[in-house]
Amino acid sequence: MLRNYLLTAYKVFMRRKLFTAINLGCIVLTLVVLMVITALLQSTFWPDGVEGKSDRFLQVYGMRSESADGKSTSTTLLGFKTIDKYLKPLPGVERVSAFTIPNTVSVYQGDRVSQLDLRRVDADYWKILDFRLLAGRLPDENDDRLGRLVAVVNASTARRLFPQAAAVGRSISVGGQTFTIVGVVADVIHVNAYADMWTPLTTFPSTDYQKDLTGGFAAMLLARSPADLPRIRREVERSAATFVGADPRTYSVTHFWGDSKLDVFARTLLDRHSVPDSGAAQLLLTIGGAMLLFMLLPALNLVNLNMGRILERSTEIGVRKAYGATSLQLAGQLVVENVVLCLAGGLLGLACARLVLWWLEASQLIPYLAVGINLPVFGCGMLLALVFGLLSGVVPAWKMSRLDPVHALKGTA
Amino acid sequence: MITLRDVSKTYRTDKVETLALKDIDLHVARGEFVAMMGPSGCGKSTLLNLIGLLDRPGRGTVEIDGVPVARQGDRDLARLRNRAFGFIFQSFHLIPDLRVIDNVELPLLYRTMRGGERRRLARAALEKVGLGARMEHYPNQLSGGQQQRVAIARAIVGQPQILLADEPTGNLDSRMGAEVIDILQRLNDEGTTIVMVTHDEAEARRVGRIVRLFDGQLVQPEHAHAA
Repeated sequence: MLRNYLLTAYKVFMRRKLFTAINLGCIVLTLVVLMVITALLQSTFWPDGVEGKSDRFLQVYGMRSESADGKSTSTTLLGFKTIDKYLKPLPGVERVSAFTIPNTVSVYQGDRVSQLDLRRVDADYWKILDFRLLAGRLPDENDDRLGRLVAVVNASTARRLFPQAAAVGRSISVGGQTFTIVGVVADVIHVNAYADMWTPLTTFPSTDYQKDLTGGFAAMLLARSPADLPRIRREVERSAATFVGADPRTYSVTHFWGDSKLDVFARTLLDRHSVPDSGAAQLLLTIGGAMLLFMLLPALNLVNLNMGRILERSTEIGVRKAYGATSLQLAGQLVVENVVLCLAGGLLGLACARLVLWWLEASQLIPYLAVGINLPVFGCGMLLALVFGLLSGVVPAWKMSRLDPVHALKGTA
Repeated sequence: MITLRDVSKTYRTDKVETLALKDIDLHVARGEFVAMMGPSGCGKSTLLNLIGLLDRPGRGTVEIDGVPVARQGDRDLARLRNRAFGFIFQSFHLIPDLRVIDNVELPLLYRTMRGGERRRLARAALEKVGLGARMEHYPNQLSGGQQQRVAIARAIVGQPQILLADEPTGNLDSRMGAEVIDILQRLNDEGTTIVMVTHDEAEARRVGRIVRLFDGQLVQPEHAHAA
């Protein structure tokens, strides 16, 4: 039966090529937008590559301190001391990395000045994240311990600073310190990994940072397995409960949370720094709802086009009814036809989405963007196509399947 | 086999009410070949649609094999249409996008049947109407007479007990029309009950019984003619 449905669908689509092309164009356009968004979301929250271990690590981005009456609040990034005292000792965690958020610095090379985003990171940072090393080496514990003035730059920065020669072994001056470049890594954009240049934590000009409970740091906690994450979350929450701030009279309660990448984004966006639930589920539902809404308008348009297309086939519907097709079977057939068209649109959409992503990557609108269409994105794309097919197919199919066979046969339905 | 008791049918629009059939009592016995005649608009097609369960009467009952069908739902009616009836239409109503063999298979799609078996039965039905060599053709590659023979093959492929033909020769020239009537006659000889709407008096006289309608009423109910 399916073969007959598909055969009929193919013939019907080929009979009115322009009409089919318009239908397909409408589907492809909608799906390209949604697939690009899906690919960006997937790459942001469930990445592979440099942050590919994100299913095994939690991040602590920021802390919220509150007065007892809840009237005074302070939201800041972590200080190194908070990470060192409250997170590093947590049991059952494979590694804890402390690192600063990117900070724009001026890099001097003779009389030339370049603006770069710099992160100071510890040696664990390089072990939690999987940077692709293009040349040289990555800093290690010895660099940390000895406070060596070494730096890693990404490929674009290496080209920018040293267009004519290899960057490894060269020196650059930042804030009065002279760093030797020891490694070059591939460009990356992700939240924890992004920077133009990285230096060891211990290259801070002074050791004052070690005494600060709040500051410009974030932490990554690598679990031995993804199954450990809920337990580590609880440990982080417990540890936060023991936190004693610099001004306990003003701020008596402090919260910080071990979050996934999506949690970090949701918590910041929805300002849920005081509760365990980051609002990620709510955020995902909102995104899903918005995508559905975005699909609705072209789907309604397609409903209209489908009504016209199916109405042309009222005689066929009448014949099928006369020969024993139930309304449900007919609705099924018409939905299958629309879903086939939408899946074809989905495949085309995927190809077009790939082109759009290439353009986005090349345009550098988002620096160092590298987004692929992998299996999950492909699956999401096909699911979107299916939902679109059902959204735009069910109503006309059901309406047409209810046609009175006598009128349908006369072509007066 | 088919019994209509006191059947009436009225079509209503916002402004107009049209009585299409009035107080029809009709019985068609198993194996009969009945021709329905009457002027245009007298209700022949409406009556055929009621017999074929494509429409419901406003009043009265339709029984198939003694079972009233009034209260049956969409699914049961569809099943009954699929099993008991084969339809032949004046305009053939073949699906232009499907090959002849796929068109003939159509009634079997709505039964639980393997593709190979469907194909075998469709082939046999096409052989029976003399179109075994045209299976892979599309309807628009056939003459009118051939298309109607395909429609007959489609009507008989499911081996229904009753064939309902609505002016099956209306769009054909006399030679092709005669061929179609010959096929129907043969099917009737093999035991299929046939109810046929026709305008052609000579054609009607070839079959077992003529039922005449005028203004929605039977004027010569149950009146037998010699074949």
